[in-house]
Amino acid sequence: MRIVVDRSRCSSIGLCEATAPDIFEIGPDGALHILVEDVSADRRTDLEQACENCPTQALSIED
Amino acid sequence: MTAILTRAERPYDPADISSSEFWASSARDREKVFAELRAHRPISWHRPVKNGMFEDPNDQGFWAVVRHADLVEVTRRPQDFLSGKGITFESLPPEALDAAQGFIAMDPPRHTKIRRLMAAAFTPKQLARIDDHIVANARRIVDDIADKGEVDFVTEVAALVPMHNICDMVGIPEEHRRTIAYESQFADGWRDPRLLQGADPLARVFQTIATVHGVAHELIEARRRKPENDLMTAMVQAEVDGERLTDDDIASIFALLIIAGNDTTRQSTSHGMKALTDFPDQRAWLMEDIDARMPVAIEEIVRWATPIMTFRRTAAHDTELGGHQITEGDKVIMFYSSANMDTEVFDHPERLDLSRSPNKHVAFGGGGIHHCLGAQLARRQLSATFRELLTRLPDIRVVGEPELGNGNFFHTVMSMKVEFTPEKSGPRR
Repeated sequence: MRIVVDRSRCSSIGLCEATAPDIFEIGPDGALHILVEDVSADRRTDLEQACENCPTQALSIED
Repeated sequence: MTAILTRAERPYDPADISSSEFWASSARDREKVFAELRAHRPISWHRPVKNGMFEDPNDQGFWAVVRHADLVEVTRRPQDFLSGKGITFESLPPEALDAAQGFIAMDPPRHTKIRRLMAAAFTPKQLARIDDHIVANARRIVDDIADKGEVDFVTEVAALVPMHNICDMVGIPEEHRRTIAYESQFADGWRDPRLLQGADPLARVFQTIATVHGVAHELIEARRRKPENDLMTAMVQAEVDGERLTDDDIASIFALLIIAGNDTTRQSTSHGMKALTDFPDQRAWLMEDIDARMPVAIEEIVRWATPIMTFRRTAAHDTELGGHQITEGDKVIMFYSSANMDTEVFDHPERLDLSRSPNKHVAFGGGGIHHCLGAQLARRQLSATFRELLTRLPDIRVVGEPELGNGNFFHTVMSMKVEFTPEKSGPRR
């Protein structure tokens, strides 16, 4: 699975990092970085949680 | 179809949540009123609050949002419910709003850009990097009380923990810290005669703004001359849309950071100490495995404290909420203290249950774009403070009743006496 970030929406609130810190990271530049290119299928629940938690609906999953 | 009533025509709900008497009563008494509203009239229209500071002739009332689900919905509709018109119940003079509320009282797109500047300093990973520092601050505070046996918990513990940590992050030197922490209380404490001591409320608020901005401008100059590794430096160096922030922009963000940084964790720490006194079985459960159980316990302490009781939004245009027609310009107030007691979400919310999990409290917000920037900082501070207190002063307890504030924004504890057996070996170093 891949994470798609809509950069026009992302406000770097960081709730995704709080949900899955090994996958999401707000960098020193204040931008969201995706740390894992291809996320293994067993992390689907975490990713869905991160997408749901996103205040600006900036995240989606691409299978 | 029923006719849509104008603001002036709408009848007011019979429940009183507007009077200063209501806000001067206890959280338990207020909860009785909120429970009735949640059950029967979850979205209701109320008469305006009277505060005697700034009379707004156009203020005809507010919508009260008291259920968890509705609060989350308002939070997540920032295009319909704006923050830029003010975040408190009361209308405030626009100059006070601009000077003291930073990006919390902004809307996108500017909110997004300013908030992004701050984001990196408050992420879970960044907070993990400075955790040693947060723990050291907690240790130093407990060192200073450890041989006293009896202290006012608010001034000697709860106020100092966030003061040192937020000042370290922002870059406020020691000589300004107590002034800044004291002044930050007037963000909500301007209605409290015990704090005002005879001063005119509006004049006192402007005095606070002048003091806080004075420190901000001094630090702006200092960081321009010599950059440091702190938020003040980040702000003077930042560019938004190719432009530097103005000194007044920076001073307003500075004011927000110190108010939000000081007055929130201060309340959570105090309410947490009271709760740990009132629920000894819960405290015993925590102490059985403090390291493993602290993170989940902190969430319940934050729910229990709900340090910010209300936030306001203002309708951007005519819209609907929970079947009610909301008119452009209507004030919509979210009651976090009510949502955190909603039985639709919490089993026996009137009980402190430190093992509560999941704990979908809204004490840090309902998950919208204004979600608490300092949530991870707050968690780490509370965790470090209670670990230090409960392990070193195992019988620390509140004696008597806390003296509470009378505001409608912060859930303020003004003073609260604690007693404990002094630490035998003297302060650890």
